[in-house]
Amino acid sequence: MKKLISIVGIIIVFFLLYFLQSNFFSWFTIAGIKPNLFVIFILFIGLFATKKMGLIFGFLFGIFLDIVIGKNVGISGIVLGIIGYLGECLDRNFSKESRITIMLMVIACTIIYETSIYIFSIFANEAMIEVWAFIKILLIETIYNTILVIILYPLLQKAGYYLENAFKNKNILTRYF
Amino acid sequence: MYKNKKTGLIGIIITIIILIIVVFISNMDNKNISYIENIFNSLVMPVQNGLVYLKNKISGNDSFFADVNSLRQENEELKKKNSELEQELREFEILKAENETLKEYVNLKDKYKEFETIPAYIINKDISNYSKNIIINAGSDDGIEENMTVIADKGLVGFVISTTPTTAKVQTIIDPSTSVSGLLGTSRDPIVVNGTIESDNTLKATFIPTDANLSQGDIIETSGLGGIYPKGIQVGKITQVVETKNITDRYAVVETSVDFDKLETVLVITNK
Repeated sequence: MKKLISIVGIIIVFFLLYFLQSNFFSWFTIAGIKPNLFVIFILFIGLFATKKMGLIFGFLFGIFLDIVIGKNVGISGIVLGIIGYLGECLDRNFSKESRITIMLMVIACTIIYETSIYIFSIFANEAMIEVWAFIKILLIETIYNTILVIILYPLLQKAGYYLENAFKNKNILTRYF
Repeated sequence: MYKNKKTGLIGIIITIIILIIVVFISNMDNKNISYIENIFNSLVMPVQNGLVYLKNKISGNDSFFADVNSLRQENEELKKKNSELEQELREFEILKAENETLKEYVNLKDKYKEFETIPAYIINKDISNYSKNIIINAGSDDGIEENMTVIADKGLVGFVISTTPTTAKVQTIIDPSTSVSGLLGTSRDPIVVNGTIESDNTLKATFIPTDANLSQGDIIETSGLGGIYPKGIQVGKITQVVETKNITDRYAVVETSVDFDKLETVLVITNK
C-alpha cells in the first residue's frame, strides 16, 4: 500500500514539476537560463528509492518529455534512466545526510545529463557546435539547480525518507549490522 | 549540516532571497542597469575627476587650461557642426524608416497574400535551455502536416516536425539544429542562417560568399531552396558583421524579424 501511494505520489509530483518547468521557470530564470528540475527529481528517486525505481522512472519520464516536446524520442529517457541508476550507486558510497554531498551529486548529474543531451543533438540533429555558449549556459544551470537543492533540501529529505521506508525497509538492518 | 532547525530555516530564507535578487538582476532591462550604473557613476566620478585633476597638476600636464578662448571658439564651431549633422541624421532616419515600411509592406502584404494559412496559438514552449521547439494548438485535424512552414506577422518562425490530431510541434529558426537557406535582400547573395543556443532573438549567418558585400541593416529572406520554406519570407536583418582572419569563416549576427519572446500567434502555410 505504501509502495502504491509512493508511486502515485511520484507520478503526480512529476507532472507538477513539468508544469512548473514549462510555466513558472520559463520566466523565473537566471539570465534567461532555466533550471532542470527533472535531473534533481530523478536523482532523488534513485538516491532514496531503489535503483530499479530510479532507472524505470527516469526512463519513462524521459520518454514522456521526448514525446511531448523533444526532437528525438529516447535520448532523455536513456540519460535520465542513467541518472536514476547513478543515484543508487551514489547512495551506496556517499552519505545523504550532508547537504554538501547532495549538492555535489546534483552538480555532477546536471553536467552529465546536459552534456550527453548536447553531444547527442550535435550528432543527431546536426546542431552547431558552440562550446563557450554551452559551458556558460551549463554553468548557470548547474548553479541554479544547486541553489534549488539548498532551498528544497529539508523537503526532499523528508519525502526521500518516506520513499526509503516504503522501498528499502528490509535492507536497513542487513546493511548496517 | 545545520546545528538546529532555526539556523537551517534562516539559511534557506537567505538563499531564497539571494535567488530572487539574482533572477531579477540578471533579467533586468539594460535601461534599468544603466540607471544603477548612473547612480554608481555619480558616486565615483567626482572623486575620479578630482584624482585625475591632481595627477595632471602634479605631472605638470595642465595644458588643458592654456588657451581657453580658442577652445571656446572651437567648441562653438563644433556644436554648430554637430547640430547640422544631427539634422541630417534625422532626415536620414526618416528616409530609412519610410524605406523599411515600404519594404515590409511589399514583403508581407504582397508575398504572404498568395499563401493559404491556418492560424494557431502557441500553447507550450521548450523546457530545455538547448532546444527551442514550440507546440501550437492546431494539428492534423486542421490540415497541418509535417514540414509545413510556420510564419508570424513579421516573418519566419520555423517548420512543423510532428503532428497529433490537435497539436503540432514546431522547430523554430532559433533552434541550434535549424538551418535556413536565405538570400541577402540587397545583393541577392545566398547565405545560410543557423539558430544558436545563446540567444532567443539572434541567428548566425554563415557560408557567406567571399565576394558578398554585407552591411548592417541588410534584410535576409528565405531563398526557397531546401524544399521546406517558400521563397521570400523575411527571416531577419543583419546587426553585426564579424570579420575573421580567413574571409571564408566570417559570419554575421542576424536579428530575427519575429520577436520570439513575445510570440503568441502563428500562421501555418498549408499550400506550397
